[in-house]
Amino acid sequence: MNLEHFLKNKAPSWMSNNGADADIVISTRIRLARNLDGYRFPRSFSEQEAKQVDDVVTNALLNINKGDQNFSHFTIREMAALQRQVLVEKHLISPLLAKKEKSASVVISNDESISVMVNEEDHLRIQCLAPGFQIFETYEITNKLDSYLEKHLPYAFNETFGYLTCCPTNVGTGLRASVMMHLPALTMSNQMKVITQMLTRLGMVVRGIYGEGSENLGNMYQISNQVTLGKSEQEILEDLQNVVTQIIKNERNARQSILKQAPIALEDRIQRALGTLKYARIMTSEEAATCLSNVRLGVDLGLIKGIPLGILNECMILIQQGFVQQYAGTTLQATERDLFRAKLLREMLNVENQISKEKGEEKYDV
Amino acid sequence: MICEHCKVRQATVTVTQIVNGQKSERHYCEVCANQFHPFNIDFNKEDNLQLAQLVSNWFGLTVWKNENQEKQTQATQTATSCPNCGYTFRQFLNEGKLGCPQCYETFNTKLPQVFEKIQAGTQHSGKVPGTSNNHHLVLKKQIDSIREQLQQAIIDERFEDAVKLRDEIKDMERKLQIGGVDTP
Repeated sequence: MNLEHFLKNKAPSWMSNNGADADIVISTRIRLARNLDGYRFPRSFSEQEAKQVDDVVTNALLNINKGDQNFSHFTIREMAALQRQVLVEKHLISPLLAKKEKSASVVISNDESISVMVNEEDHLRIQCLAPGFQIFETYEITNKLDSYLEKHLPYAFNETFGYLTCCPTNVGTGLRASVMMHLPALTMSNQMKVITQMLTRLGMVVRGIYGEGSENLGNMYQISNQVTLGKSEQEILEDLQNVVTQIIKNERNARQSILKQAPIALEDRIQRALGTLKYARIMTSEEAATCLSNVRLGVDLGLIKGIPLGILNECMILIQQGFVQQYAGTTLQATERDLFRAKLLREMLNVENQISKEKGEEKYDV
Repeated sequence: MICEHCKVRQATVTVTQIVNGQKSERHYCEVCANQFHPFNIDFNKEDNLQLAQLVSNWFGLTVWKNENQEKQTQATQTATSCPNCGYTFRQFLNEGKLGCPQCYETFNTKLPQVFEKIQAGTQHSGKVPGTSNNHHLVLKKQIDSIREQLQQAIIDERFEDAVKLRDEIKDMERKLQIGGVDTP
C-alpha cells in the first residue's frame, strides 16, 4: 500500500471508539524493543550495518502476508518533512525515528494497528496500538508477531539480562506498555500530583501525550511501566492493569463529586468549550486541546448529546500542526495554522452534530 | 565586618536568602561573592555539575569524588572497553547508552549495580526466545473462555456438554499448576 493511504487516513483503527472503558482510556499501546545479534546498536553502527539490518528485518516482515495482516515498508529518508511529521502525530513513528538519516524505516500494517520501526534507538521497535483499555489483548498481538520474527531473526538475547537493548532502561523484557488516559476530574481536583508520585514508587511513569513538557495539555496522560528487568511480562502487565483500573475508579468518583458540588459551573465550562470549538476563528493547539477535553467530559457525563467520542478522538489527532498543514495542503506559519485549525474544528463539529441529531430522533421513535 | 567565607577580607556584599519564609543574611567579600553561583547557595567544591555527571549520578554511581579517587576510578573505567564496538564503561556512564549487544558481556560485572538502581532486579524473568513462556498466560485465557462456555451450557441445560467442559477446565488447571512455568 502506498504512503498516501497512511497519511490521508485520519481515523486509524485504534482510534475507533469501541474498546473497554473507552470514555476514560483512549488507547493502549504495547512496544517491544529488540536487537539483532552481531550488529552494533543504531547509535554506533555503520551505514552498511544499517542497510543490512533494514533488509533482513523488512524481508522477514514483508514475507508474512498470511492474509490477515499485510505490511508496507517506507524508508524515512525518502519521506518529506511534513509526511514524517504526520506519521509522528499518528504515533506510527517516534520523533527520534523521524530525524534519522541512516537507513531507518518503518513497516506498517495496513490497518495501522501495528508498526515496526527499524533502526530507531534499537534495531527493532515492535509497536501495537488498540482502542480503549485492553492491555493483555494488545500484548498478545504484539507477542505473536515477536514470536514469528524470532524464528527469522537472530535476536540479541542473554540468559541473565534478557533481551539486550541500547538503553539499560529497556533491557530484560524490552516491554513498554502504555495507556493513554483522559483525566479531567482528577486534574481539576489537583490529585494528579499525588497519583504521579505514587506511580513513580510503583515503577511507573506519567507523561503528557503531546510530547515532552506537555504534562497535562488536554488533561491527557500517558501511563506506562518504567521497569523492564526483574519482572516478567505478565507481572508488568498485571501491575499496570491494576493501577489503571484504580485510576479509572478514582476519576469516575472525582467526576461525580464535581458534578454534585458545582453542576452549573461545570456545565458552563463544558458548553463554553463547545461554543468555542464550533465558532472560534483563531485556535491555538493548546486552546483546542483544552476545549476538546471539556467537551469530552461533557459527552461522558451526558451533558452534551449527539457528539460521538470517535469524532473527539479524531479531532485530538487533527489539531496537531502536521495534520493542520496537511489539511491546508501547504506548509504554514504558526498564526496561519491557528486559522486553519479553527476552520477544521468548525467543520468537524458542526457537520457531525447535524448527523447525530437525525440519529437522535430515530432513537426517540424506537 | 569580615567575610563569612574566607574570614580574611572585609565583607562588602550582603546576600539575602529566603528559605521557607525565613529570611537570613550573609556577608561576603567581593572575591568570595564572585565565585558564588546564584543557584547554589552552599559553597561546594562540586559546583560545576555537568550533565554527564548528572547522568552518572542518576545511575547511582558517584563518579566524581575527590581528585585522587577520580583518577583511580577513571583508570579502572577506561581499562575495559568492548572488543566489538570499542565502548568503555565510562562512556556508558556519561551517555547512558551502550554500543552493541556484546557490551552486556563485556561489562557484565558492572552492569548489575546500575540495574539495581533503575530496574526491579538484575535477572531477566520474562520471555525467552524459542520457548513459549507465555504458555501460562494463554492457558489462563483459554480457561476463562471455556468457563464462559460452561456457564452458557448450564443456562441452556446442555448438561452433557457442561460435564465435558468442566473436566476440560480441571485438566487445564492441573496443567497450569504443574507445567505452567510460573516464573518467580
